[in-house]
Amino acid sequence: MAELLSAPDEAQAVEELHLRGCTDGLPVIVPTRPRVARMILASGMDADLVLGTMGPGHGIATIENVAVAAVMAGCLPDYMPVVVAAVRAIIDPTFDLTEMQATTHCTAPLMIVNGPARQSCGPIASGTGALGPGHRANASIGRALRLTMINIGKARPGVSDMALLGHPGKFTYCLAEDEENSPFPPLHVDLGFKAQDSVVTVVGAEAPHSVIYAGDADDSGSYKILLDLLAMALANAPSNNAILTGGFATVVLNPEHSDVLHRAGLSRQDIASELYERCFLEPETVRRLMSAFAGKNPKRQMAFRSPDQILILQAGGSGLYSMVMPSWCAGTHTNSAVSVKVEADMFCELPDLVS
Amino acid sequence: MRDGINLAKRGIPAVALVTEAFWSQGDFVAQSLGMPDVPRIKLPHPVAGTGIARMRVVAEAIAPEVIRALEAKDG
Repeated sequence: MAELLSAPDEAQAVEELHLRGCTDGLPVIVPTRPRVARMILASGMDADLVLGTMGPGHGIATIENVAVAAVMAGCLPDYMPVVVAAVRAIIDPTFDLTEMQATTHCTAPLMIVNGPARQSCGPIASGTGALGPGHRANASIGRALRLTMINIGKARPGVSDMALLGHPGKFTYCLAEDEENSPFPPLHVDLGFKAQDSVVTVVGAEAPHSVIYAGDADDSGSYKILLDLLAMALANAPSNNAILTGGFATVVLNPEHSDVLHRAGLSRQDIASELYERCFLEPETVRRLMSAFAGKNPKRQMAFRSPDQILILQAGGSGLYSMVMPSWCAGTHTNSAVSVKVEADMFCELPDLVS
Repeated sequence: MRDGINLAKRGIPAVALVTEAFWSQGDFVAQSLGMPDVPRIKLPHPVAGTGIARMRVVAEAIAPEVIRALEAKDG
């Protein structure tokens, strides 16, 4: 059982949670016993079910203490299956969460949700402003994951979360893929899951970097400019992807940019291959800009080990801008993405959810 | 949208061209600037980058509407 605190009223309970460093700095919903119980019940799993240990503090993630975080973050019980899947994903050893928290780099887990849970555990926004404010499920699911990292993983700034500056995605960083409007198969299907599965993919990510491109339908080769621009942002010279190499990175295409690449006859794999080929630094650049990392005889440095390290999805509104999220590229598994199926079958629908 | 409103406020006949994707934002701006009925014409989205031939089609389709809006006494 989680430790129980007492306070004379809600406002003082929130202050107590702030004082104990249990929040992200914003007000939280007080995780009272009945609220947590409802969240657990909604998960359809036992409170004491152990999901694993979470670094860097190696706290034990149980359904109960994940439910505590979900309540604090303002989640509806419907969101629980996605939160649980995200926790399982970040505690997968290949995600290198402990190392990620120890780095001075700004990386944060970006959550990408695919499949029917986008609706049944949401709606989780995938369109205009999906990574911005105003979408309850995106905001609270991403925040719940961060609160597990604070209260189960014991990540505290300057002590056990060593990011020099961090980025706003460390509060919440969750979106769904816009599968309905994408010309490509859903990301999880290309990753080997079934279309009817719901999947959370987590990947360590910097804040989104904007990529501006205006297509020109009169120039059939203009899609190559889009690929060039995406690659420049993805492995820009001062990024860890360009310098340290070998980590995953994420490309979020807007509907127009997806369409430009699709009409050029490219599949998701083709786009990844085209970007892979464009993401490198020449030896003289490596020598000039990063002699501390490069050794005496640098070669051409490919930013990625393979095209598979570039996650591509469609989200956001229609217009000029796509986004890329470079990454950290260190840790034992050099910033691997991890995908976990959402166990929505266990979900237990609760009547009278407001408590 | 804002340009159309600013021109209209100066008494210069104006009609804003707004693509479908920005239509509700256009309504919002028109409301917030106190000219909810300022003339506007809906364009398909996107227009930019769709090629000269396509732009000609769009322009030809809306030109009569633009003229009508500019000639309207109460618009």
